[in-house]
Amino acid sequence: MYGAAGSAVPAWCLLVPEIPSESEIRNWCIKYLARTLDVSEQKIDPDAEFARLGLDSANSLYLIVELEEWLGIELTTEVIFEYPSIAALARHLARRPAGEDSAR
Amino acid sequence: MPHSHVIWHGVPRVKTAPAENSLPLGAATPIDIPSLADVLRGRAAERPNDAGYVFLPDRGGERTQLTYGDLYARARAVALRLAEHGRRGDRAALLFPPGLDFVVAFFGCLLAGVIAVPMMIPRRDSKRDASAAILADCSPRFAITCRDLIEIARPDLGERLSSVGIEWVFVDPTPADPSHPNGALPAIERADIAFLQYTSGSTSTPKGVIVSHDNLLHNLEMIRLAFGNTDRSTHVSWVPYYHDMGLILVILQSLYIGALCVLMAPVSFMQRPLSWLRAIHEYRAEIAGGPNFAFDLCVRRHRPEQMQGIDLSCWKLAYNGAEPVRAETIERFASTFARYGFAANSVHPAYGLAEATLLVSSGQRGDGPVTAAVSRDGLRHHKVVCSTQGDDVQQVVGCGRPLTGERLAIVDPESRQRLGARLIGEIWVAGPHVAQGYWGNPEATNAVLKAVIDGEAALPWLRTGDLGFLDEDNELYITGRIKDLIIIRGVNHYPQDIENTVQDCHPALRRHCGAAFSVLDQNNEEQLVVVQEVERAYRQQVAIGEITGAIREAITREHDIAPREIVLLRTGTLPQTTSGKIQRNLTKQIFSAGSLENLQ
Repeated sequence: MYGAAGSAVPAWCLLVPEIPSESEIRNWCIKYLARTLDVSEQKIDPDAEFARLGLDSANSLYLIVELEEWLGIELTTEVIFEYPSIAALARHLARRPAGEDSAR
Repeated sequence: MPHSHVIWHGVPRVKTAPAENSLPLGAATPIDIPSLADVLRGRAAERPNDAGYVFLPDRGGERTQLTYGDLYARARAVALRLAEHGRRGDRAALLFPPGLDFVVAFFGCLLAGVIAVPMMIPRRDSKRDASAAILADCSPRFAITCRDLIEIARPDLGERLSSVGIEWVFVDPTPADPSHPNGALPAIERADIAFLQYTSGSTSTPKGVIVSHDNLLHNLEMIRLAFGNTDRSTHVSWVPYYHDMGLILVILQSLYIGALCVLMAPVSFMQRPLSWLRAIHEYRAEIAGGPNFAFDLCVRRHRPEQMQGIDLSCWKLAYNGAEPVRAETIERFASTFARYGFAANSVHPAYGLAEATLLVSSGQRGDGPVTAAVSRDGLRHHKVVCSTQGDDVQQVVGCGRPLTGERLAIVDPESRQRLGARLIGEIWVAGPHVAQGYWGNPEATNAVLKAVIDGEAALPWLRTGDLGFLDEDNELYITGRIKDLIIIRGVNHYPQDIENTVQDCHPALRRHCGAAFSVLDQNNEEQLVVVQEVERAYRQQVAIGEITGAIREAITREHDIAPREIVLLRTGTLPQTTSGKIQRNLTKQIFSAGSLENLQ
């Protein structure tokens, strides 16, 4: 899909064009989790840890899959443990150079 | 009994046992196979170079496979080590990441006469999980795993088990030298215990179902007959090995019938359910299935562009079990995937539980599902009434008929009298696949596995704790359960474990004053509800939101499920009996009627 890591192309060239902004990703996650967990969007605190919101491992996987589809990237299942809140995850994904998470 | 290297062509030879007084059904019994260890020996001798098992890794990894010859050689190497360091009848905990090493270790135990205890790998961040109580309950001498898990991924686990005197045994990645001396392994007999299945009982008091080779071989034969399996019945599965369905229906049935078994990791399926369908297509698999939610997930993640070139016409039997089977799920799945060649009559609802080894009821291959339209209101009052009235209609799905060689009765759980067709009662089961007992627990054994129907000859019956009815064609319908059990995504959760977690997570919560139960949501899926009293002294001091947040987090971390609703109550308002026992059912009724007074 994108240049492979370790190729001769400089990293800044690999940035995905038109990647949604941090706040767009954050808002998308809030809307998605509110729907999945059946609560109002006001109750989804973007700084709370995912477990605090009641996101179990199955729903974590579904969130990753939906993000992959929306952003057109591949993510590892660990991304949610490394960035354990909506805010942290959105910040990471918005700054993510292509290829970083797609290694399997 | 001396070893006979039985050579089979296709399926094991079957003789019909003479009718006995205790089992006058004319049970079809594979009486000439001593044990499952001998089934493996037979396969290895007969077809050493045929692939028995394949593991499909997640994207990009390399497929691994085990021939029957390799499996036998590697399992024998494990068995010889177990025999050298331990004794027949010792227990061995099996802790494996998804892959084929588990299969090697499991058969290693069978060959050595060591009792296998398949376990889920305890989660790192979990304070309290079932593993400690299971280890205490069956006191294993060994824990078997692959080296990488303990040395790289989870050194904490290595220390934890070593500290209680358990000896680690590693499965070697390469087949052992086949010239190793032969005589060191014992002959295994039908009455010998094959493994303990710890899917019953709560985290604090787990119950290990004792499964003998006799139980296993009988149930494997019942499965073969009902499913119409042959050595061409390739199976593709993602169900984990520590789930009785993943072990018996997938791993063991495949060896028993001599068909290829293709495994993938549960997480691969959860992330990319369509990869399961692609594997079914690629391997031209006849058999694949799982709990009801798996079929919903496939529909939800269906993307036509990812299904190109997939032909599911090979898929003859899509079993659905381990959680309630929903009519809507079956219809949606069949209509979504019909365009890829999926036949509606492949849908195969089934019912079973670990105490009966696995399978209790099933249709015959190709029967297709049977549904009945009954009155919702009637079901609430344990009555089966046909209904055609809009809101009141509940489609219940039949889970097939009793199996060959098994007895099944619907019994009034209070009076213990047998009930007739279309009356709802507890499902009782008897037959050679019903376990003799729970490990080291005669009380539970007597209460659950040695029941007697009032006014009938003493025959030990298994009380399943599930409610249902039989129709005139002997089709079994499951309508509910009397045991306190919550099933979410095919996993059993016990209310008392969840209640303990809740009461430990915040000092404002009163001990022994909470109830956990499940309700059905608009999609007819079980959802967890927690009702909990708050200590009077804390009511003014602590924000409600903080308490519910703490509860939600604790349940998510410890049990890996998300509570759908948390209700906090004033001190002394949770329904209890006069002796102070929590009334979960009554609490659920009051909750469902919307009459609980929430502090929020």
